[in-house]
Amino acid sequence: MRIVVGRGSCGNAAGASDVFAAFVAAGFAPAITGCVGACYLEPIVDIYYDSGAKKRFVRVDEKGTDEIIKHLKGEENHVVDYTIGDNDAKILLEQKRVALVNCGVINPEDINEYIAKNGYEAIKAIVAGRTPEEVIEEVKVSGLAGRGGAGFPTWFKWNAARQNAADKKYIICNADEGDPGAFMDRAIIEGDPHAIIEGMMIAGFAIGSDEGIVYVRAEYPLAITRLEIALEQARSGGYLGKNLFGTDWSFDIRIKAGAGAFVCGEETALIASLEGERGMPRLKPPFPAQKGYKGKPSNINNVETLANVPWILRNGGCAFAAMGTENSKGTKVFALAGKINNGGLVEVPMGATLNDVIFGLGGGIKDGKAFKAVQMGGPSGGCIPAELGDTIIDYKSLAETGAIMGSGGMVVMDEHTCMVGLAKFFLEFTCKESCGKCTHCRIGTKRMLEILERITNGEGRDGDIELLEELSGAIKEGSLCALGQTAPNPVLTTLKYFRNEYIDHIKHKKCTAKSCRPLLTFSIKEDMCTGCNLCGKHCPVSGIKGDLWHVHSVENSSCIACGKCTHSCPFGAIVVE
Amino acid sequence: MDKIVLHINGIKVEAAAGCTILEAAQAAGVDIPNLCHSELLKSYASCGICAVEIEGNPRLMRACAIQAADGMVINTNSPRAIANRKAALDLMLSDHRGDCLPPCQLACPAQTACQQYVNVAAEGDFDGAIRIIKDKIPVPASIGRVCPRPCEDACRRHMVDEPISIGTIKEFVADADMANGTVYVPAVGEPTGKKIAIVGGGPGGLSAAYFLRTMGHSAEIFDAMPAMGGMLRYGIPEYRLPRNVLDKEIDAIAGMGVTMHNNIKIGVDKDLATLKNDFDVVVVAVGAWKAAALGCVGEDSEGVFGGIDFLRDVSIGNAPNFSGKKIAVVGGGNTAMDAARTAVRLGADAVYNIYRRTREEMPAQAIEIAEAIEEGVDFRYLVNPVEIIAKDGKVSALDLQKMELGEPDEQGRRRPVAVAGAREILPVDIVIVAIGQNAALAGLDVLAQNRWGNIEINGKFQTNIPAVFAIGDVAANGAGIAIEAIADAEAAAKEIDAFLRGTNAVVKHKFLVREDKLTAEDFADVERGVRMKIPHRDGAVRNKDFAPVNLPLTEEAVQADAARCLKCGCDAFDKCKLIKYANMHDVAPDKFEDTAMPTNTQPINSHIVLNTDKCILCGLCVRICEEVVGETALGLMNRGFDAAVSLAVLAPPASADCANCEKCLKNCPTGALSVK
Repeated sequence: MRIVVGRGSCGNAAGASDVFAAFVAAGFAPAITGCVGACYLEPIVDIYYDSGAKKRFVRVDEKGTDEIIKHLKGEENHVVDYTIGDNDAKILLEQKRVALVNCGVINPEDINEYIAKNGYEAIKAIVAGRTPEEVIEEVKVSGLAGRGGAGFPTWFKWNAARQNAADKKYIICNADEGDPGAFMDRAIIEGDPHAIIEGMMIAGFAIGSDEGIVYVRAEYPLAITRLEIALEQARSGGYLGKNLFGTDWSFDIRIKAGAGAFVCGEETALIASLEGERGMPRLKPPFPAQKGYKGKPSNINNVETLANVPWILRNGGCAFAAMGTENSKGTKVFALAGKINNGGLVEVPMGATLNDVIFGLGGGIKDGKAFKAVQMGGPSGGCIPAELGDTIIDYKSLAETGAIMGSGGMVVMDEHTCMVGLAKFFLEFTCKESCGKCTHCRIGTKRMLEILERITNGEGRDGDIELLEELSGAIKEGSLCALGQTAPNPVLTTLKYFRNEYIDHIKHKKCTAKSCRPLLTFSIKEDMCTGCNLCGKHCPVSGIKGDLWHVHSVENSSCIACGKCTHSCPFGAIVVE
Repeated sequence: MDKIVLHINGIKVEAAAGCTILEAAQAAGVDIPNLCHSELLKSYASCGICAVEIEGNPRLMRACAIQAADGMVINTNSPRAIANRKAALDLMLSDHRGDCLPPCQLACPAQTACQQYVNVAAEGDFDGAIRIIKDKIPVPASIGRVCPRPCEDACRRHMVDEPISIGTIKEFVADADMANGTVYVPAVGEPTGKKIAIVGGGPGGLSAAYFLRTMGHSAEIFDAMPAMGGMLRYGIPEYRLPRNVLDKEIDAIAGMGVTMHNNIKIGVDKDLATLKNDFDVVVVAVGAWKAAALGCVGEDSEGVFGGIDFLRDVSIGNAPNFSGKKIAVVGGGNTAMDAARTAVRLGADAVYNIYRRTREEMPAQAIEIAEAIEEGVDFRYLVNPVEIIAKDGKVSALDLQKMELGEPDEQGRRRPVAVAGAREILPVDIVIVAIGQNAALAGLDVLAQNRWGNIEINGKFQTNIPAVFAIGDVAANGAGIAIEAIADAEAAAKEIDAFLRGTNAVVKHKFLVREDKLTAEDFADVERGVRMKIPHRDGAVRNKDFAPVNLPLTEEAVQADAARCLKCGCDAFDKCKLIKYANMHDVAPDKFEDTAMPTNTQPINSHIVLNTDKCILCGLCVRICEEVVGETALGLMNRGFDAAVSLAVLAPPASADCANCEKCLKNCPTGALSVK
């Protein structure tokens, strides 16, 4: 029998460390695994019985741990309270897992578990008997495209780096995951670090490189630790180092921790940061495949892209290409966040619809509220309204809506999300994370933010929408890198689908989502107020007047629109407009 | 070296392989605007204004960083490229705070570089100062004395203590120049062979001659009066402008080769058509010599004078005998003050000033009013003459309507309103009406007039008659101050020069960055000083003669006053690429109102300061320091909108203070870096 505790960052945050310690204290020797994706069910404990049966316990707290221990000792218990529900189990089974195939399954700190899942077979086979050109061809057949956001064909980048002759080339893994609400790269490194190592090795062999660098944000300490352990084990196991597998091909990998600047996910800025310079993008061309790290041809792939590579080489490009749509092959991992019931990671074949993900795997909107829109692709992406929920997930269809596939962040909004506020949130992010180099991006995003701030403060003016559109166009046109070129997207897509909300804010000084505080007024319905004064007790500014058991009223001059009264009123007598 | 051939703006350009589009364009004489580029450095491509359109490329490409390639077809000025450039400039300007030009200079109708000459004078370099002044003012000793000084009203020093004595400094500098023996005048231009006749030898006419001579045109002045100077001589009393001072300034202009004719009134003694035949261009600068009338009963009585007529008579030597008489001067402007103070000097028994509002609303300069009071002028406020009462055809009294102040008018001055039934009889012997002046155009009536009776001109000072221009009091809006006529003269000289050459005059700097949100709080840290006190004779002494009111100034006092200058204007204005490009494009940064601007000035080393208000973050200073000097004294810090140039955080202590090579400063495209 084996006890496996899910110990990704999400599991640990939910209390898996305590659960793990409790098992140890009880005399068991639990193993660990990474994130299975169902963050909303953490902490998760899997029991693999000697019979071959397996049971999954979820939301395991202190009591739950006790119950499982009693269960394992054969004592009377209530583990049934913690057993995964059929629906949740089904959601995990329904996914098509390629990039996440080992996540939540194997112990990421044990190379043998990776090897047991056919790990390192692909690279061994390649080194033994295939040419770099054949490898690139296999990836070309697979149709794999960059999962970091841009969706550029992976084989093309490899081929370009291969074609550029040089005494030294680099493979760089971009693990500078920065979109708010995106965490698939972290989960993959934490859950299956050897897949990244193998993916980088394959890419290295293909382009003719002997050195790999993982650029990972320093805010991912667990990912860094697991990767360090994996690198060490791979070196000891003869998977990294000189003259691998009895050939003259050598390859090794090192880690570079980034300081957390969003723009360093942009490949030229990433290279600058690796070189010890300020992380600022530069003009392309020359592309990194021509002149990259230290001026040498370099290939940069995102974590998820690389995680797909060993699978493709093991199963063949055709198997990968068999999944998905005409123009988008394989699967895609999404990080579900926001007002969704089943927050976490899901992997679906390209071609599934947004509704499949949000209402199927995601379990729909929290608290039974209405689905309003989903932000795809983080701050660079766009907002897709509920009525376009049937849009299929592929690069082309998503781009047609004005959003992008992006790295896979899906932030789900319900009816109470103000779309102007949403645009402001993302713009605030890009404005802060702009490297400050380009005029258009540095000052333009600030000016846009100022306009959005005044709109949400009820100080919007005629012409503000047009000015936002003008600035959006100028920033897209004039910015050097993708950060600036895409920064206006959240504004443009919300303007496209929710223009009336902007007009309501500007002309009527109204926030229909009832979210922009300066635009809200609170009042008490006379026929529903009992004069219980509960609202008055909760009001932090003593802004509610009225004698006990007499009808109360809100003093608008002092009201700060915090909404505490609304929540405190048992009779629903307080109206927000 | 390999050659490539490409097309830029339709021009076939041959360039060396490997060069950038910007370099290829430069070699072909096509200027692509750029701010962050330097040939000393690797391309950086941050400012974005060099982006051009390349046929077949869906994006605009930055010319400073993209290699030119054989066969490229490039448009550097396509509507798309220009829109992008303008957007970048608008954004940079929305984040740019300061004054391109100082408020004093902007307030001066002639745009005299006040800050520059004040600063040079503060160093004791009066020779340098006179050159700067005479770039704009041909008669500075006179103007220094008579100008109402809009520059001082605009001087920001009033937010600290009191304005710099800009006019007095000018007077001192010009006097010092005269004291040297030879009066400085700029070099005359290469002769063009073009002849210009100037009608009127006042400040406008004299200045037109002066500026036209610097351009190489010949200039001949025709004046109706016995001597040159116009209103400076015949409208300003001698106690304010000694005639020897004016004479020396006029002599200096004559010394530039200007022919001057007096006692010739064009339209009477010689007609305009003849002049037009004999000269290539005629400039009409005859001024406004007709005193405005009150329009009340009794105005035709004996003993009623026009203010300007009275002053002219006194100047010529035809002073009326005022001894023992009571004089009323009607009006609240400087001419009224001049008339009243002159009347006092002529031995009048009493001199009243009659004004329908109060001292607060008087258009005359405060110092003029104060000096008039010191000299014994009796001010009667809130009264308006309704009748000049005459006895036997001679003035005997004024019937005055009492007034009170009502609602403000469109200029913000409170309107005088009659108090019903409140009248006052003031016995007087003489009434001097000084309520304004109009043009007198007898003999010049072929020139079209506007509804105020002034000569109508277009934006280039041209009248309805080809090759006839008009400037100063006689043109457009009518009577103003001398420096306005001088400003007209310079602008008209440029237009005339362009007209003669068949080109267009260059209009410089339509757009300027101005600081208009400052308050006294912004100057809380500035050390308080004292405005210089002008030594002068006592009112009771000076009111008996026409000798100057003011006594000589000391160099020390002048320098100390000049040293108080806050130096509002930008040092880098003349070399600033940002303002140059802003004026080449139709920029409109004002669409971004209420924008947040970080305000910060920090020392870079012991003598260079960085003003982040003016920094466009091109990074040239940082890169020069690193790539050319090999130091890292400067760096970039922060992200997003807060990104800024700073002392390098990681600079080793040895580099913390740099070698003062000033390469950063010299390469700054704006005025962000300056010497302390």
